[in-house]
Amino acid sequence: MANTDKPIHASDFIKSDADQAVLLGNPVLDNMMTALISLGSEVWSTRRRMKVLESLLAEQGVTPEMIETYMPSDAQNSEWQKERDAFIRRTFGALGRSGNKSLGAEMEHS
Amino acid sequence: MLNRRTLFGLPAAIGALFSGTLSAKKIGKPTLDFDVEPRGSIGRMERLPSLDLESQQDFLTGFRVWANSEMRRAAGIRFGELLRERGLTQKSDMSLAEVIDMVEDDPVIGTSVRTWLSGQQLTWQTVQDEFHNHEDTYRGELDAADRAGPGSVELNPELAIPEYAKHEIHIQPGGYVGDEFAGYINHYGVNAFYQGRNYQDEVQAAIVEKVLPPPDGKVKRILDLGCATGRLTFALKERFPDAEVWGIDVGAPMVRYAHLRGVDLGLDVHFAQRLAEDTQFPDNHFDMVVSYILFHEVPQEITQKIVAETHRILRPGGAFFPVDFKTGKQEPAMTPYRQFSLWWDHRWNNEVWRPEYSSKDFGDTIAAAGFNVDETIESARRGHGSIYAVKPI
Repeated sequence: MANTDKPIHASDFIKSDADQAVLLGNPVLDNMMTALISLGSEVWSTRRRMKVLESLLAEQGVTPEMIETYMPSDAQNSEWQKERDAFIRRTFGALGRSGNKSLGAEMEHS
Repeated sequence: MLNRRTLFGLPAAIGALFSGTLSAKKIGKPTLDFDVEPRGSIGRMERLPSLDLESQQDFLTGFRVWANSEMRRAAGIRFGELLRERGLTQKSDMSLAEVIDMVEDDPVIGTSVRTWLSGQQLTWQTVQDEFHNHEDTYRGELDAADRAGPGSVELNPELAIPEYAKHEIHIQPGGYVGDEFAGYINHYGVNAFYQGRNYQDEVQAAIVEKVLPPPDGKVKRILDLGCATGRLTFALKERFPDAEVWGIDVGAPMVRYAHLRGVDLGLDVHFAQRLAEDTQFPDNHFDMVVSYILFHEVPQEITQKIVAETHRILRPGGAFFPVDFKTGKQEPAMTPYRQFSLWWDHRWNNEVWRPEYSSKDFGDTIAAAGFNVDETIESARRGHGSIYAVKPI
């Protein structure tokens, strides 16, 4: 639980409206672009972790065949599904955003 | 044997060659019992705390490089086509409204801005989430560093933060004042801005190599105005190790993180949460005042106040070396595409004060404050202006 007794040395701020930008004519397109880029980062993150794992495993004698035939336990399946669902929310959450500021929209603050 | 001072005393280009081959252990620095670095460090940069976050940032850095090159190239080509369709060229005189009207519905132009914007938003969000998801840990690290040395940090909870400083510049969530982990967020987020070429603060080191000291060469006390996370401040201390070096910023989260890094690097630097336009330092106090990309983030009225304050706190014969974007007589020719680029940086990168900054000749502003200004010096960073100002004796 966060310690709220000490000062956090942060003040109020003026939020930008960049998350309202609709640059592709339709917020759905903008949102899908964001989701696509986010998905790219997830895929690369996974691949990079696999590279680390495979390198370490190879040093320890764990063969590719052993990996291919591995059977997850019920507990692992349950845990991995929770992670899958969090990944989906994280990656596709942008699709639910609405926005109405076009490319040339004036700023509201100065 | 290499130590931190030896390594980072080398020219930045040579130092950067070593940054990729350093072991995870930092060189030449004391072990801190409160330091949070679960995955160790590469040189002077602590690795991001999780492999997944590091990999996401790796992707987003690569994506930014791609967006800034390939998508910008495509946008430039498309922009040229749009001009030709209208019988115009890059030498045509167009108003900003005409430029925006021309590109407003173009999908290629829109995609070029969208890919940059979404990439930057994701860069900030993933970093911010990490530090907030472990807020007790990082809050504890900052609290412990506040009480530690070398160096010092002065915080002013009663400081009235000016409205102009509250914006989320470069769309950093919370800006520099609104998120207690703004220092962490800024440090790791802007690594993507530098496209992977500043993990060892080599950009700031290269800038400081080009900073000109006062004409008499006497440097006892230096100020870094708008120091943010202290990367330039540290480079100043490393170039002038016998000088008393200060860094000030309006953001408490920024100077707290800067001080934490100073302690981590073993550098005796003083940080303070103060306003650049009201530094609270005595008259004639500093031999050098330096800044890096501060002035395009403040209104023109404040720029004039900061320059006047700089004049007051510099000793006669002292040097002011601001590094920022080119203006006035130094600015490149304005083309319709450059107009568009500057505008979307202002509008969607939330660089609120950039148009005001660009509308004035910064060198002339400094001269009007009573400095002797030389704008013929070598620029300290490509694409940035050349200004060396000396307070008359």
